[in-house]
Amino acid sequence: MTIPTSRPASQSELIWRRFRKHTVAMVCLLILITIYVGSMLAPWIAPYHRDVISLGNAYTTPFHTAADGSYHFFGTDHLGRDLFTRLIYAARVSLTTALTVVTISTMIGVIIGLVAGYFGGWIDNLVTRLIEFISTFPTFTLLLIASAIVIQNSEAIPIPAFFSAITGAVMAISPREANQVILIITIFIMLGWTGVARFVRGMVLSIREQQYVESSRALGASHFYNMFIHVLPNAMPPIIISYTLGLSGTLVAESGLSFLGFGIQDPTPSWGNMLAFANSYMFSYPWMPLVPALPILVCSLAINYIGDGLRDALDPRVQTEIRRAQRVAQLAAIRERSNPQS
Amino acid sequence: MATFLTRRIIQMFVVLIASALVSFGLLYIAPGGPMSGLRQGQNSGRNKISSEDILRIKERFELDLYIPYRFSRWLIGFPAGPITIAGHALLGNTVVGCAIPGQARLRYPDGHTEIIEDGCQQEVTIADLSSRRTSHGILFGDFGLSQVILRDRPIATLIASRLPYTLQLMGVSSLLALLIGVPLGVYSAVRQYSRFDYTMTTISFIGSSIPTFVIGIICILIFAIAAKEAGLPFLPPGNAVANSDYVMPFIGDVVAESSLDRFLHFVMPCGVLVFVNIAGYSRFIRSGMLEVLRLDYVRTARAKGLQERTVVLKHALRNAMLPFITIMAGVLAELFGGAAITESIFNWPGLGRLLVDSIGRNDYSVAMALTMVSIFLLLIGYLITDILYSILDPRIRLS
Repeated sequence: MTIPTSRPASQSELIWRRFRKHTVAMVCLLILITIYVGSMLAPWIAPYHRDVISLGNAYTTPFHTAADGSYHFFGTDHLGRDLFTRLIYAARVSLTTALTVVTISTMIGVIIGLVAGYFGGWIDNLVTRLIEFISTFPTFTLLLIASAIVIQNSEAIPIPAFFSAITGAVMAISPREANQVILIITIFIMLGWTGVARFVRGMVLSIREQQYVESSRALGASHFYNMFIHVLPNAMPPIIISYTLGLSGTLVAESGLSFLGFGIQDPTPSWGNMLAFANSYMFSYPWMPLVPALPILVCSLAINYIGDGLRDALDPRVQTEIRRAQRVAQLAAIRERSNPQS
Repeated sequence: MATFLTRRIIQMFVVLIASALVSFGLLYIAPGGPMSGLRQGQNSGRNKISSEDILRIKERFELDLYIPYRFSRWLIGFPAGPITIAGHALLGNTVVGCAIPGQARLRYPDGHTEIIEDGCQQEVTIADLSSRRTSHGILFGDFGLSQVILRDRPIATLIASRLPYTLQLMGVSSLLALLIGVPLGVYSAVRQYSRFDYTMTTISFIGSSIPTFVIGIICILIFAIAAKEAGLPFLPPGNAVANSDYVMPFIGDVVAESSLDRFLHFVMPCGVLVFVNIAGYSRFIRSGMLEVLRLDYVRTARAKGLQERTVVLKHALRNAMLPFITIMAGVLAELFGGAAITESIFNWPGLGRLLVDSIGRNDYSVAMALTMVSIFLLLIGYLITDILYSILDPRIRLS
């Protein structure tokens, strides 16, 4: 029985109601939240210390007891470190990295796209040229080079102690490790905002011509008010879609980079670098790569399913726009593959 | 068209120079390089490296030149020496670098001293450059020498030895992915919501969500390790050719470097790339087709009594393919750039892995050459797609 309310349901309530009907997406959302919350509780959940090396216990098969009688849920790696513990801590690093990168680069992209599209003129020209210029770079190559540089002299680039302390606390890593992660995050953000900026600009170009924007101006609203109260909410659905797609994209790119040895460095665990280690032992211990591969697989699938559910739940009036944004993102993803990423 | 082309080519040139600057700058601040290994071994007794050795090595890799001169020598091979006009060598005395930096001792009020680099003890002038090996410039196709991977050998040889493998892998996989992916996308759009469509959508959804390296590793686990243990015919997990002959169940002896051996090594990396690309392409084509099939002109075409086949393939597909062409812009760069991750997993000796190797081992001249080539090809690809776009879509005018 529904209780009649005097207030009509808000836009976000409607979206949430429709989203809840999408069972797969709901399950995926739950899985993702569980993994992330679990990783935040890592110090209490993890059965062992993250970095304690015990060579006698190395290569314990999952669900078996090690040589010294300790039980390892997901087995141990080549140094005898408990893989389950490292997976949980890695979730913290990998997921937080992806979340931070996509949140900040989306914010930057939205603001730049909004300003460029709303004001037009020379600002628009400048931004479009800049985006065009950045997108001619082979992103993945640049990412490789830049992270190779910052990893090798992470002390050379000063990072405020405040940032590394916060990052360290959130990811449960030492400030020194945090410095490297921050540098990787920065590179991702610098190369990542252009896609969002491009399509937000395109959308704003058409929204600003709408009559409600014009009448709001006539009533004396400021540009700032107009941009954020009238234009931005109408551009929101595609932004949400590109956010979820960006999340899985960044997760995959980060683990790919770490897999190649240019991302997050051991002993800081990340799913990518764990997979890289497992990869070199897979002929003797075939189960080993499956352990870190599983969470990468689950998370990237889950995020994509959530994106799918959100697409269906978002305002049907703007479905065409959403589909367009999705295709822009798909195009970007495929294009990125054509840089030597795949 | 002519004005468009001139403008675009000028634009391309500017972007190329700018990206050359960026990649040169990035790699200039990178650590390592030919000097780093030497400094470590410098004090080890018998093999002690003299200051002459250092001078020579610096000269070989141009580390003694100032950055603008290094950049212009790398880019266009200028200045190569004094300019000779009517028998007179001009500008011979212009200082372009510093072979031995001068040292100054700083004495602080609190008593401790520090030695800093200051001024120059021995300068390099343009006249000195004429005795050096000068590259013709990367813009004219001279990539210079490799510093680490193949020390002192031309990068061009290095690239030439890897190129066939990359061309083979990327060429075959892109072609197969196109030939399979596009029809699949069209078919599932025409039969929207059928069982085929659902299966296809799910598979391609999964395929485009899972990262390539996970797919690659799972493939190795199944087709190389598990199959071998089960006594079935297996696929070799890495490299492009085997080192020695091996026995394959049901097939018999496989001679190393035979075409069968090459084929067996080729199947898995190619298969992974094809699968991933099919997933991406068919999803893209499907959503494009669905949008187009709803449009009025398709209904008109049907109302005219045209065959469904003609409507789909001639009227709808042509328009749905338009955004797809943008993807093709990257294919050219992809053909020559390789796939870094796939090649790394399968130990495929292509250019993608060369890029990863060169960056990992601080061989920056190789990395810069590969970056420049791929930027150049990407720009050419964009130009070609823009022209193709205007040919296929008469609504777009190039201006």
